[in-house]
Amino acid sequence: MIEELVDIKHEYYVSVALDVSERKFYLIASIKGGIDIEEVSKKSPEDIFKISFSYSQGLTDEIAQEMAHKLGFNDKLEVSTVEILKKLWKVTKDLEAQLVEINPLILTPSGLIAVDAKMILDDDSAFRQPIVRDLKIKKETELEKIANEAGFSFVELDGDIGILANGAGLTMALLDVLSSMGLKPANFLDVGGGASKERVYKALELLFKLKPNGILINIFGGITRCDVVAKAIIQALEDFKNAPPIIIRLTGTNDKEGIELLKNDGINAYQEVMEAVNKLKEVLNE
Amino acid sequence: MYINENSKVVVQGITGKQGTFHTKLMLDYGTKIVAGVTPDKGGLEVHKVPVFNTMKEAIKETDCDTSIVFVPAKFTYGAVKESILAGINMTVIITEDVPVFDMLRLFELSRRKNTHLIGPNCPGMMIPDKIKLGIMPADLCHFGNVAIISKSGTLSYEITKAIGNADIGVSAYIGIGGDPVRGITMKEATQYYVEDEQTKLIVLIGEIGSDEEEKTAKYLSDQSDKPVVAYIAGKSAPEGKRMGHAGAIISGDVGTAEGKIKALKNVGARIAFTPWEVPKLIKEVL
Repeated sequence: MIEELVDIKHEYYVSVALDVSERKFYLIASIKGGIDIEEVSKKSPEDIFKISFSYSQGLTDEIAQEMAHKLGFNDKLEVSTVEILKKLWKVTKDLEAQLVEINPLILTPSGLIAVDAKMILDDDSAFRQPIVRDLKIKKETELEKIANEAGFSFVELDGDIGILANGAGLTMALLDVLSSMGLKPANFLDVGGGASKERVYKALELLFKLKPNGILINIFGGITRCDVVAKAIIQALEDFKNAPPIIIRLTGTNDKEGIELLKNDGINAYQEVMEAVNKLKEVLNE
Repeated sequence: MYINENSKVVVQGITGKQGTFHTKLMLDYGTKIVAGVTPDKGGLEVHKVPVFNTMKEAIKETDCDTSIVFVPAKFTYGAVKESILAGINMTVIITEDVPVFDMLRLFELSRRKNTHLIGPNCPGMMIPDKIKLGIMPADLCHFGNVAIISKSGTLSYEITKAIGNADIGVSAYIGIGGDPVRGITMKEATQYYVEDEQTKLIVLIGEIGSDEEEKTAKYLSDQSDKPVVAYIAGKSAPEGKRMGHAGAIISGDVGTAEGKIKALKNVGARIAFTPWEVPKLIKEVL
C-alpha cells in the first residue's frame, strides 16, 4: 500500500457534467485533483479546464485530445487520457448520468489509474435503467419506501407537524412560512399532481406513522381535484380512530364539492392558507 | 408567449383520464381545441373534439398549431418528437417524471426545428380571458400587464390568485416546470416578457436548485429596466434533499434560496418574504 502511494506522481480531476440550465454537457478537468473540486474552482479557477458540447455532438476525439493537451499529456499518455475521457462519456450516455466524475485520476510510473469515482443518476430513468432502480431501493428509509411505491415525494424532517400538500413549490413555501413562525414541520410531502383517493389516503397513513402533534393539509387543486382529496380524508379519519388533529385548506379545482363533502362529515376546511396555519397554531397550543 | 386566443390546439393523450378532464376545462375557458391525438383511437370524439391517430393527420384535417401533452412519462419522448416533427410551433408538456435525457434530446430537436417547448412537469400557460393552455384553475385572474413566470405549479396558483384578488391584471402566466432540463427556461421567458409591450412588471416564482434565477438576474442587470417582484421557495429546505421537484435540490452552496434572493435583490428585484406579499410589492411599483 505504502509503495503504491510513493508511486503517485500526480493527482488529476476529470468529469463529464450536465449543465441543466444551459442544457449541454461540460468535460471538466484539473491538474489539481484529489481534493474537493469546488474548493479549487473558488481558490484558483484558472486551474480548471472546461469544454462544452451538446448531447448530439457528444464527446468527440477532438475534444478529448484538446483536454489531454491542456492537462499536459502527450504521446502515450495522451492516447490513454483520450480513451479514459471517451469512456466517461460512454458511461454518462449509457446510464443517463448527470455527472460522472473520477477524482483522483492518478499518474503512476505504470500509467493513469482511476482511484475514486462518483455519479449522479436520474431517478426518472429507473424504468429503463436497472442500476437506478436497484440503488433507489437500497437507500430508501422504511417510510420513503412507502412513499415511493405510492408515488409521492417525501422527506423526513425533525419537527412535530405532519405536512400533506400538493406541488413541490407550494409545499416548500408552506414549510418556509411555518418555520418563520417557529413551527416545526415533521416532513415534506408533495402528494403529486392528479393524486387519486388511494394516494392521498396512503399519504395520510404515512403521516400517522410519524406520530405528529398535528397535521396540516394544504391543497391547491389544479390537476388535483379537491373532492377526491376530501373523500380520502374522510376515509382515513374513519379508519384511524387515534388520528392527531388535522387542519385542512382546500381550494382550486372542485373545491366547493370537496368542502361540502367534508362539512357533511362534520369536518371544517379553510380556503385561505393563513387561516389554516393560524388554526393549527391554536390547536397545538391547546 | 408564442400563443394567442386564435391558437388552434391539439391535445396529445386526449382519451386518457387527465387529457379528457382538462380538455373540458380548457374548452370551457374558451380555448380553441380543434383536435386530439391518441394512437389507435382515431375516429372517436372527446367533448365533440375529433380524435386522430397521428399528429400529421390532426394537422392535415384541422390546421392545429399548438399542442398540449398529457401522455405518460414513458411515452412522452415519442409524443413530443412526433409533435415537433409534424411542425407544431409550441408544445406544452404537462407530464411529470420525464427522464432528463429524453428532455435533452427533445430540446435539441426543437432547437433544430425552430419550435418551442414548455415543461415538462409544468402547469402550462395562460393568457387570462383569452386562452388557457394548461391545468391551472381557470378563475385565478384577469387580463392586464403583469407577467408571471414560475418553476412551480401550485405555488404559482397561490400567488396568481393573490394577484387576481388584489385586482391586478396578468398579461401572461407561464409555468416553466420543476424538472432539471426544461424547454423554455426562466431566463428565456423573462427575456420574452421584458420585450413584450403589454407587460409592465414581471413576477418571478423560483425555488431552490439549479442556477436559473441567478442567470435570470444576470440577464436583468445587463438588459432590462422592467420592474421585477420575486418569491423564492425553499428557504428552510435542508441541503442535499430533493424537495419534490427533480430539480429542487441544494448541493453544497449551489442552488440555495439565499443565493437566489441575493442575486435578484442585487439587480433591484423586490423580494416577497411570503407568497401573499407579492401583490403588495407589485402595487408599490405600478
